[in-house]
Amino acid sequence: MEAESSTSNQQRKRKRSASESSEKPAQSTWRSDKEHRLYSSKLLEALRRVRSGSGSSSPRTDPPRSRAVREAADRALAISARGRTRWSRAILSSRSIKLKSNRIRVPCPARPKRTELERIQSAADQEKKKSVVLQSKAKVLGRLVPGCKKLSFPTLLEEASDYIKALEMQVKAMSALTEILSMFGGGTEGAPGMVQDAGAGTSTGTDSMPPPA
Amino acid sequence: MSSRRSHSRHSSASRITEEEINELVSKLQMMLPDAPISRNSRVSARKVLQETCSYIRSLHQEVDDLSEKLSELLASTDTDSAEAAILRSLLMQ
Repeated sequence: MEAESSTSNQQRKRKRSASESSEKPAQSTWRSDKEHRLYSSKLLEALRRVRSGSGSSSPRTDPPRSRAVREAADRALAISARGRTRWSRAILSSRSIKLKSNRIRVPCPARPKRTELERIQSAADQEKKKSVVLQSKAKVLGRLVPGCKKLSFPTLLEEASDYIKALEMQVKAMSALTEILSMFGGGTEGAPGMVQDAGAGTSTGTDSMPPPA
Repeated sequence: MSSRRSHSRHSSASRITEEEINELVSKLQMMLPDAPISRNSRVSARKVLQETCSYIRSLHQEVDDLSEKLSELLASTDTDSAEAAILRSLLMQ
């Protein structure tokens, strides 16, 4: 545990110099310790998938395999949230239920809130216009964030902000992971922060990747 | 920003006050990539929601692309030594 925290500290420094994203002083949880844990969980997941799935299919861009990686990454992300947020719980519950081809709805008091929103609409004209537009946008947002289709407006916004932070971390972690793997696969060191065009589309994985100049 | 409006008809009708919404919207706006550092007092909530949706979509897209790259890489590298290399890099970082 101590080694983890020290490495996460170093990671944080490295990430700070590498990435140009703004610092979030309030909720820095997604930037520090959890990032490291997400790494570990995701690594195990992804590698396990490869081990179980490899050998049968060609090393080309397998839609199911990239899908599996994406799902493993999402699940690791959701686990890192430790059940604090609805979207994470929705990811976890929907993943396990997907096998049984069933859908779980996160219980939310949706109906009463919606009628209340409509009540706000009928209250004033200007407010009505604003609320209608907001409502439609909020619906779109609710569809994007998993498990938040029927949440109240403030809850939805909170979930969305947390989800965005988590997604940003996911992207960063996955790109770093890609960098590591490509460095390892290519056998060259000093790869830049983001590996772009690694393999130029469908590579059969036979040759090493040329280091981007 | 937290100007106390006396639009209490909303606050009494529901627990979703306009203030709450504005506050959350501005907080959300600060997380977006093109967030203006100076505080805009009047930012259209609709716009913020719109940008939030597109930002989330682009993040999803990025994750998908990275998953694809990762799946390629994982397929083309020897798993056990890859795991070892990853762990080694993590510890060294």
